[in-house]
Amino acid sequence: MNSVLEINSSLKSLVHEFETRMDQASSLRDLEEARVAFLGRKGKLAKIMSAIPGLDSSERPLAGKTANQVKTELTRLLEDKKNELERLAAFRLDPRFDPSLPGRIPDMGSIHPVTRVIQDICSIFTGLGFDIVTGPEVETDFYNFEALNLPPGHPARDMQDTLYITESLVLRTHTSPMQIRTMEKRTPPVAAIAPGKVYRRDSDLTHTPMFHQIEGFLVDEQVSMADLRGTLTAFAQRIFDPGVKVRFRPSFFPFTEPSAEVDISCVMCEGRGRHRDDISCRVCKETGWVEVLGCGMIDPEVFLQVGYDPEKYTGFAFGLGVERVAMLKYGINDLRMFFENDLKFLNQFA
Amino acid sequence: MLLSLSWLRDFTPYEGSVDDLAHRLTMVGLEVEEIVRPFDHLSDLVAGRVVERKAHPGADKLSLCTVDIGGSENLDIVCGAPNVAAGQYVAVALDGTTLPGGQVIGNTQIRGVLSQGMICSEAELELGPDSSGIMVLSGTPAPGSRLDHALGLERNVLDIGVTPNRPDCLSVFGLAREVAAIFNLPLNKPVFSLQEDTSRDCPAELEIVIDDPDGCPLYQARLISGCTIKPSPDWMRYRLLSVGVRPINNIVDTTNYVMFELGHPLHAFDYSLLKGSRIRVARATPGSRFTTLDNEERKLNEGDLLIWDDQKPVALAGVMGGANTEISEHSTDVLLECAVFDSLSIRRTARRLGLHSESSFRFERGVDQAGAPFALNRAAQLMSEYGPGQVAKGVAFSEPKPHVPVSINFRRSRANSLLALDVDLDYCRQIFSSLGCEVDGEDDLLRVTAPSFRPDLTREVDLFEEIGRIYGLDRTPEHLPKVQKSLHQEEVDRKHAFEDSIKQWARGLGLQEVINYSFTGMSDLDLLNIPAQGRVRVFNPLSEDQDVLRLHLIPGILQTLRNNLGQGNSRLRLFEVARSFEQDSGSETGVRENTRLALLLHGPRHRGHWPFAEEDTDFYDLKGLAEHLLERFAKFPGKFVMFDNHPYLEPCVMCSLLDYKLGFLGRVRPQMARAYKARKEVWFADLDLDQLQNIHSDILPVFQSLPKYPVVKRDMNVIAPLELKYALIREVVDQAGISILEDVSLVDIYYPQDKPEKKLTLRFTYRHQERTLQDHEVDQVQQELAELLTQKLPVGFP
Repeated sequence: MNSVLEINSSLKSLVHEFETRMDQASSLRDLEEARVAFLGRKGKLAKIMSAIPGLDSSERPLAGKTANQVKTELTRLLEDKKNELERLAAFRLDPRFDPSLPGRIPDMGSIHPVTRVIQDICSIFTGLGFDIVTGPEVETDFYNFEALNLPPGHPARDMQDTLYITESLVLRTHTSPMQIRTMEKRTPPVAAIAPGKVYRRDSDLTHTPMFHQIEGFLVDEQVSMADLRGTLTAFAQRIFDPGVKVRFRPSFFPFTEPSAEVDISCVMCEGRGRHRDDISCRVCKETGWVEVLGCGMIDPEVFLQVGYDPEKYTGFAFGLGVERVAMLKYGINDLRMFFENDLKFLNQFA
Repeated sequence: MLLSLSWLRDFTPYEGSVDDLAHRLTMVGLEVEEIVRPFDHLSDLVAGRVVERKAHPGADKLSLCTVDIGGSENLDIVCGAPNVAAGQYVAVALDGTTLPGGQVIGNTQIRGVLSQGMICSEAELELGPDSSGIMVLSGTPAPGSRLDHALGLERNVLDIGVTPNRPDCLSVFGLAREVAAIFNLPLNKPVFSLQEDTSRDCPAELEIVIDDPDGCPLYQARLISGCTIKPSPDWMRYRLLSVGVRPINNIVDTTNYVMFELGHPLHAFDYSLLKGSRIRVARATPGSRFTTLDNEERKLNEGDLLIWDDQKPVALAGVMGGANTEISEHSTDVLLECAVFDSLSIRRTARRLGLHSESSFRFERGVDQAGAPFALNRAAQLMSEYGPGQVAKGVAFSEPKPHVPVSINFRRSRANSLLALDVDLDYCRQIFSSLGCEVDGEDDLLRVTAPSFRPDLTREVDLFEEIGRIYGLDRTPEHLPKVQKSLHQEEVDRKHAFEDSIKQWARGLGLQEVINYSFTGMSDLDLLNIPAQGRVRVFNPLSEDQDVLRLHLIPGILQTLRNNLGQGNSRLRLFEVARSFEQDSGSETGVRENTRLALLLHGPRHRGHWPFAEEDTDFYDLKGLAEHLLERFAKFPGKFVMFDNHPYLEPCVMCSLLDYKLGFLGRVRPQMARAYKARKEVWFADLDLDQLQNIHSDILPVFQSLPKYPVVKRDMNVIAPLELKYALIREVVDQAGISILEDVSLVDIYYPQDKPEKKLTLRFTYRHQERTLQDHEVDQVQQELAELLTQKLPVGFP
């Protein structure tokens, strides 16, 4: 071993060998042994370097420089490893270190359960191809009532106690005006849902003067009751449970014909009317069914209001109460909690 | 609408269970809300037979009765009624029975004699007004049997929610028609024969004049003379009681009975109190007053329809009769009215006067004009039988606007395509017939004539609904629609999506969403000094604290703060996304709605545990949130400047972005915060999300090549007067136009105790896009910057 090439190659492999040794070292003692074996007076590096004086004088400086670089490298690797082992030892040995102490937990934000349900419902319907639309909460009598086939003096206006701003301006009593506003702007096919706040002049255990609704509607050629039923059954099974049963009961809304109310099998007692312990179910009043929404095929009068040809187009519409869904979905038993915003309530929906 | 099951069976032989009936009615759109047992409170009483009656040994007016109640031993009961006698069948309340009035009967000593229960009067059982003596049962009920069974009292009454489009279902007969159609049963009209007294001629005695044919298309009346006012027969009273109507006397009860039976409201006048020979239907004189049956004086306006005799108004048409012609115990001759009044007119009057009666309820929804003569005759017949009176010959009537039947074309194929069904024509024909329609036509097309009791059937689609309803909407097929989209997407509404992303942002930062009412009280806005101008008042608020819409979001969120402080939650980091409302004649509705973000911080900055420091939130926490919002959604830093004279924030800082005012942030004035029970500082921000959305939607990330050359960082210590705002220093630096300056940040501020000044440490980051910067170039730029700062501002360097 007398050529400079041989020496250089030995020095290089020495670095690799040392790195492996460092990776394997697990104590300061291992390090000391490695130091002696590689960097000691009789170590591997010294042995290689002892060949340098035997080189040709022209080759000696290069070999010497390389050998010094290798020495620095080995020393650095040794120091790094030593630091690492010492830090580790510090955690292990420092009696103050306590992994069971609390960490710096960032604050837990939360989304109001009403928003959560709206998000869930919107994502179900956007998945089915519906757009989301928004509109004013202070609404004209025209959009809130008249255009929806509820002329002044219609007894169905009594179905909703209205909060008025002026004689012709109301706080919208439902999200249905969005049917008119959207259809006015678009030509069929139209498929949209409109979530938002609605208002009624009603306040007791089961009514708050403000609550949230989601309106949905689809208008195209050849839309049938089967489309409505399928859409709402799919919705109910996705938002509640795939096993939930859905029931369509004929009802009356001035802006749909035929109209129906949709009940789902009670999620509290699984439609049995009584709980497993035979206590009667208060949510469904022992009927096994709870009403979740109203729907129907859009009335031709509504189409005439927006200039759609009722002979050409048919469509369906539905409106559901968000708080109602939230109460059933999360088992909330007091409507008023939604608007008291007690942190102990909100935290449950983080 | 309350439906008595036994009454229903008068008209259709339904023999199934009450539960099945309730289910099927519900499934054709007549929702049974409850099955009521109207006489449940009498279920503990039994029928007894008085075996023997003796005088009470200790009291003249009391009797001592031996009563057989079917047990092995007879009971001894003391009775104070004058009419009690041996052999009578009577109602007995036993030891432990609670009477309807709440009285609990027990075995008690009465004047030294043990009474084992009580023999009851009609009044004590709330079955009638008679309290003069005990109730004597007709027939021979088995002693010990249940009283309600012995009396034949109704056991099942369905409480049905009738939708406003179905006035025909506001009667037993109308519901029987539905039941017959559902179960394919026969429908039997009430059968009776009316005997007329030919010695008197009603139309000859009385003329009907209708001034307002739109308000009253039909008015008819019959005269029944020689009646004796007394209680109506038991069966009629019990039926009325079972549907919640208080029996009054034979005449009034008959009008109510027929209204429930056939759906047509009737009114009975005391004929002797009507003046002249004419009944007139005409509008009220505005401002006039009229006293109704309930002895309330009502102020009328020109919209109210009245019934007049020759001198005075005698009834508020269709709503309530007048006190001046009310049937009393002295009445003998009765004028029986059966008319049709315009629903809108009745509705307006009833609503304005807050006078809702069973009668107005039916008129508002529409009564059966073609069926009115039948209802009149039915009531006249009952009065002749139970009045008992003589029904004068003929009907006085005027019908300026006869009912015109509506004929509708019905296409079976279209019904099938809308309902996704495949029903044949015979099936459709059968449904329409069973519902009372006349049907004509063949092949695909039927001509259907709607009966006058179905005002809701005017269009083809109304007939589709009938097919769907009777077939069962629940049995029609279902599938998911193919939602078609226009190739050229019309205007997209991104508002909801933007609000959602704001909510997700806030939640991610550890804020909690609250939702408050959109309304608040005028006093709350006043308390917060919010200007009176622009407020949107609620015309008919539920209460004073909800009489105006939120002009700013703050009242609602402060309410939430108060609720939580009351609940012991004092560390609050809240946000709300909601609209503010302001009058604005330029807006479509006259009200401008602006979606805003409210932020509220109160209490400790961090969770209350180690290793967090215990510090309360301050302005910089709030500002940090606002800056984070702008960085996330606008990509531009906002401008924050002091704002004086804000209504409820002090200090108040206005936040703007580019040229747009976004809102305010600051501390709620302490005296206002205290009104909401807050003792600590309340930090609040209210920012315009509509504005932010506009800016956000214009931003499209544009890729820039990553820098190749390293940065050089330099710190600079600047000594400045306390009042010098940091923004001024930044302005000088930013406007210096140094191309290699990539970033400036403030890394520290130090306030020396002994001098009124502050020491700011600024960190400058330099980078050249095309080469590595040399130390001396950077040193020179730093030097120039320092000189610039000293030229422009009263600053110095250590």
